[in-house]
Amino acid sequence: MTKLTVITPAGESRAVEADPSTSLMEAIRDAGIDGIVAECGGTAACATCHVFVDEAAQAALEPADEHEEGMLEFAAVEATAASRLSCQVRVADLPEGAVVTLPDTQL
Amino acid sequence: MPRPLPVIDDVSLAEMYDDPYPIYARLRQEAPVAWLAPANIALITRFDDMIAIERDDETFPANDPRSLQIRSMGHSLMRRDGAEHASERAVLVKSFSPPMVKSHWSPLFREIADELVGDIAPRGQGDLFTDFAAPMAARALAQIIGIPETDWRDLLWWSQALIDATGNYADLPEPWERCARASEGIDAAIDHHAALWAKAPNPSALSAMVAAGWPIERIRADIKVIIGGGLNEPRDSIGTVLLGLLSDAAQLEAVKADPALGRKAFEEAVRWVAPIGMYPRRVARETVLSDTVLPAGTAIGLSAASACRDESHFGESAGRFDMNRPKAQHLAFGSGPHFCLGTWMARSMVGDIAVPALLDALPELRLDPQNPPRMGGWVFRGPLSLPAIWSPK
Repeated sequence: MTKLTVITPAGESRAVEADPSTSLMEAIRDAGIDGIVAECGGTAACATCHVFVDEAAQAALEPADEHEEGMLEFAAVEATAASRLSCQVRVADLPEGAVVTLPDTQL
Repeated sequence: MPRPLPVIDDVSLAEMYDDPYPIYARLRQEAPVAWLAPANIALITRFDDMIAIERDDETFPANDPRSLQIRSMGHSLMRRDGAEHASERAVLVKSFSPPMVKSHWSPLFREIADELVGDIAPRGQGDLFTDFAAPMAARALAQIIGIPETDWRDLLWWSQALIDATGNYADLPEPWERCARASEGIDAAIDHHAALWAKAPNPSALSAMVAAGWPIERIRADIKVIIGGGLNEPRDSIGTVLLGLLSDAAQLEAVKADPALGRKAFEEAVRWVAPIGMYPRRVARETVLSDTVLPAGTAIGLSAASACRDESHFGESAGRFDMNRPKAQHLAFGSGPHFCLGTWMARSMVGDIAVPALLDALPELRLDPQNPPRMGGWVFRGPLSLPAIWSPK
């Protein structure tokens, strides 16, 4: 299991024990944390699982591909250099203790 | 103890066509998973059940050997599951992606909308459904699919023929005959244009399929499913947004003053009256949903229309068109792997462009008090006619 910290839209810090075989989207959703919508179920078609990842995670992850970058432009909250679609991030690729911040809204 | 599937045999399909919403409200309350006898399906009416179904395509696959859609159109990606569905859909993603919509399709949509409103503005009256919504959606779709030399009126009857055959549960001969004629026309248009795009690729769906080297049967099935799912729905949603706005002065004025609100009005309109009201899945293994047993092999219908008015998500005002309601996920585009491929296309075409262009071009636009609008449908639903008057320009 990978330990992650998720900062909710309400600003609460939540510890999550994430299964490395899942996507970050599934890990946050399955932990029962509100703030991920994931309308398209993880196919990078809706931009409603937008998250901001900390610098350690940014350094560890492969950068977003052209399609994910394109989708992020259409997220409800403006994307930054820290933005990812959480459905496209595998928990296995995240460093232990990564901090993931959810935007105020996905819609 | 989960209960066996309750049978609903006291409603008629004619009632459902006329206004299914009171029936859905009753089912959500009393029998959210119920065998709808006149339609021969188990109807799912609660939002949360629909989400659960779309998250589990092993228990609830889209593929069904009994599918009338497969019989009508061929076996398209809409009736496949898992990796097979994902790889087929991946070929089409770029054509329908928001950046492509913004850079390539939106300017085309604007040209079509401006031409149409220019045509009708001097008339002072008309049916916004037949004179604007239908040609807008059909002409846009000819471009998106990649059969631009096709007459949009052909696309209109082709789409209806495919949809009528897909819903031909009574197995009448006429819909099958009309579907066969439509298929001939579609196949000829595909052959003609596919040869062009093989030499000169473009962002259209057909061009992407040709570039991927798909066999002709797959191209034909997927083009047909895009026609069936990409014409009536934007057309109906244009009508529904206009009906919602023209029935509510405050919301109409707000969108006129700020055309950027068109997208918000569109999103609320498809929640209010989901253009695709119901779509099918199959139960692969016995399961329990809303405390009701669904036996293996059961054909189920997911009522997007009902889920979009589920009180537990949208409150007691769910039946009202209110673009200022709190933002919340709706299910008019479905959810999960089959999430509507045309979502971003429709948001742009209808919300950003068609509706604001019409409101801007037709001063004092209002519903015709002599001829009230008519709505119809439960599998697909929208205005059947939308008579309006305005000051001629």
